[in-house]
Amino acid sequence: MTRSDFIIKWGVYTLALVPVWILELYVLSRYPLFGVKPMLLPLAVVAVAVLEGSTAGGGFGLFVGVLCDACYHDTFGGMTLGLCLVGVCAGAVSRYALRQNLLGCLLCSLGGLLLVDGARVLVRLFWQTAPLDALLRVALPEVFVSLLFVFPVYALELWVFKRVPKKTVL
Amino acid sequence: MKDFFRNNGLLLLIAAVLLALVTAVCTMLLGGTADPLSDLAGFLTAPIRNGISSFANWTEERYSDAFEREQLKSENEELKRQVAQLQAQARDAEAALEENKLLKEHLGLRPSQREFEEELVSITAWSSSNWESAFTISKGSSLGVEAGDCVVDEYWNLVGVVSQVGENWATVSTLIDSDLELGGMLARTGSAAILEGDFSLMGEGKLKLSFLPENSELMAGDLVTTSGRGGVYPPGLVVGHVEEVHTEASGMTQYAVIIPQTELEELKQVFVIKSFTIIE
Repeated sequence: MTRSDFIIKWGVYTLALVPVWILELYVLSRYPLFGVKPMLLPLAVVAVAVLEGSTAGGGFGLFVGVLCDACYHDTFGGMTLGLCLVGVCAGAVSRYALRQNLLGCLLCSLGGLLLVDGARVLVRLFWQTAPLDALLRVALPEVFVSLLFVFPVYALELWVFKRVPKKTVL
Repeated sequence: MKDFFRNNGLLLLIAAVLLALVTAVCTMLLGGTADPLSDLAGFLTAPIRNGISSFANWTEERYSDAFEREQLKSENEELKRQVAQLQAQARDAEAALEENKLLKEHLGLRPSQREFEEELVSITAWSSSNWESAFTISKGSSLGVEAGDCVVDEYWNLVGVVSQVGENWATVSTLIDSDLELGGMLARTGSAAILEGDFSLMGEGKLKLSFLPENSELMAGDLVTTSGRGGVYPPGLVVGHVEEVHTEASGMTQYAVIIPQTELEELKQVFVIKSFTIIE
């Protein structure tokens, strides 16, 4: 893969992230689904990781994590680390333990979302800002409502995957 | 094993740890000021936020014009009745104020003064996180908005406090956010306590009034305002009403659940109180 192919490929993945990002940040935050604001950017990271592998997933997760930390409030760099970790793990798990398809993406997304929200729960429990039951009342609906969006996000990333140059070299 | 990690992004993870540490340190050192990356992101995305917000507001207005006409008519009738009542009260209050002024002059008391410098701002986006209650406003440090400034609605009800400021945007943590803590006061008794957001109540759109004095006689419906103690926040801003009183898990103290007076979900524009002078 040439340098220009590489730039085009990741440029297209970045462009595909824009509608997901706008939907999460500016549409679903205003009109929540079942009263819950879903997390879509981790799903995009997982979808790319499942399709492209763990290194590419980790790199994309790092980029999306930096974007999240820049745009979200009070994340203290947690999304940079969290989404990079999600990308690396999703890529490795889908390659070695699951399949690189929709089902693999769904299971990896569940794991990724549980990882992100699990970290949030643990931080709040550590600082004793809320009891566990109150935290789970927020975390669990968030994870399950977010999972509904795996299908459109995976379809979008698959559409991009089929049209961009293959064999990532990082 | 070494190859597995090398092929599976170990270096990326190390880079992520370092970046996360830098971001966390920057955020903590800068306090209420946005770090350069967040500021840049907020600055660049301002047109998108404003555009989407304007379009959504326009759509909601068209929707309410089309489908909520009857409800608006009955609301209008009710409001007309309330305006008439309030006008009568205002006439009485004017006479009382005049009398109060005369008495103060006779007694040689310093006249009370309440002056606010406020800035009208639009809400351009709500936080996309379920773990906080916050929104982004359309003005920032370039127009004098600072972290810690109080935010009120058009009826002077407390909405929240500015928690992070960028060049042309700022984030406001609402009064139900679990990070918020400020002095509160029961308007009926004058008892001071602490108003704080509570994670368990945030989902219900409520907050807590804690550290109540032992002898405080709370009643459902009591009005709660800001106390203004410490001079950081102005006193007398309406926060909400007492819904019910509970005993803390320790069994030693009580707290009250407060329903905010402001309707957070209906807000489109708010005022940021940039500075204030209050002499009682």
